[in-house]
Amino acid sequence: MEHFLKSKKLKAILIIMALLTGILAYAVSAGGYTIPAVDILNTIASPFQKASNAISGKVEYALNLYQNAEDGYEENEALKKEIAELHKQLVKYEQVQQELDELKSFVGIKETYSDFVITSPCEVTGYVTNDPFYAFNIDCGKNEGISLYDPVVTEEGLVGVITKLGDNTATVTTILSPDLSIAVYCSTTKDHGVLNGSVGLAMQGMTKLLYLDKDTALKKDRVILTSGENGLFPKGYVVGYVNDVGTDDSGLTACASVKPSADVRNLHMVVVVTDFEGKGVESHENQQN
Amino acid sequence: MKVMKISRTDTSGKYLFKQFIQWVLFALLIAVCFVMETAGSSVKPLLLIPLALCISAHTGEIQSATVGTVCGLLLDVACNQLIGYHAIGLLMACVVVSLLHGYFLRNRFMNMFWLTAIYTMAEGYVDFLLYYSIWGLEDVNLIYMNIFLPSGIMTIISMIPIYLLVKWIAEICGSRRNYELEKTIIHF
Repeated sequence: MEHFLKSKKLKAILIIMALLTGILAYAVSAGGYTIPAVDILNTIASPFQKASNAISGKVEYALNLYQNAEDGYEENEALKKEIAELHKQLVKYEQVQQELDELKSFVGIKETYSDFVITSPCEVTGYVTNDPFYAFNIDCGKNEGISLYDPVVTEEGLVGVITKLGDNTATVTTILSPDLSIAVYCSTTKDHGVLNGSVGLAMQGMTKLLYLDKDTALKKDRVILTSGENGLFPKGYVVGYVNDVGTDDSGLTACASVKPSADVRNLHMVVVVTDFEGKGVESHENQQN
Repeated sequence: MKVMKISRTDTSGKYLFKQFIQWVLFALLIAVCFVMETAGSSVKPLLLIPLALCISAHTGEIQSATVGTVCGLLLDVACNQLIGYHAIGLLMACVVVSLLHGYFLRNRFMNMFWLTAIYTMAEGYVDFLLYYSIWGLEDVNLIYMNIFLPSGIMTIISMIPIYLLVKWIAEICGSRRNYELEKTIIHF
């Protein structure tokens, strides 16, 4: 042991540690932009991650199918063999169909929101390991014209924003995260509020709508849309549906749990809205406040 | 007079070739663990932690420091955390494991099990503290109970196959310590 403490090995290890501390300090100061080495690593790892995701998706699909079949085991025993054979064909067919549907749906976004400038569909390369708010990485970056804090959407609704950006990769923080606050309103009752993630609801795949009027007329299944007040999100884009309405801890305002219309926990493809009408412009009401 | 002859199991060239194969296999294992860690959105074990620690038990201090750094950086990328955050912790843990196995501990399963368990749970708790608890989020303990604890337990359990695999690779390829011991006996 004494030999080690006096050896060159210890000096070498201390040099590596100093180097890592330097990298750590640099990463802290990078402010949302990934350091080049990480971007290269992400680019290299991306195809492997995609393959791994595809495999895990197939396994999950097969497990789900097995679980469902188990419920009607006695009735379906005679048909099981046939189902298994058809299943193999179905897996391939459904994958192709899903990809086609996703691509078609992104064309729909452009048709409905003509002011949107969107990227080509970006593939979700993988979810951030053990992130409670389901942040994920995509295979598009600065080279596709994406900027930090650009909204990320699917045809179903808003998914999140870009919070880390590299040349060819980006990380998306989802609307389940407490780090995001989004000004929203209800299309029917015109109630305004702020969507902010919460730990408890994120575990159930939901998010929280805060600062509603105490006498709000909001009910289950009402549609929640972005109000576009802060210029960060386009106005009128679907976010989700009200699940439950209650009073917040202070008792002064009402709050609601909102189920995102896009399945944030199981995404395959998304698009990034790089520009839209009113981007970066705060609304008149907001400026007065 | 009869002289006892101690023969070396490997020539130097053969030994180097085996070492090369060993490191290629370790690198492949690291890559596989990294890819598995980034697949799907469910809670997963942090396979790179037991892997780095198990490799360190069979290698010298410098190699352990390198493995700890590489695995730590990959862990930072997978978990979307500050680059260098896991790397510094894992580097220190790997060097400590290597030194403990070099000077104080025998390379046994239970020793490795406890070392992995202590590091995994400590790292998980510090992670939770710095990334979530410190910010005073509502119901923050749910994150520990639903993510960090299950992930930590899975990581500790995953140490079993990883330990056996690394031990097997080190045995068939001949670890550095065996070679040094062999050299010392021959010189003696």
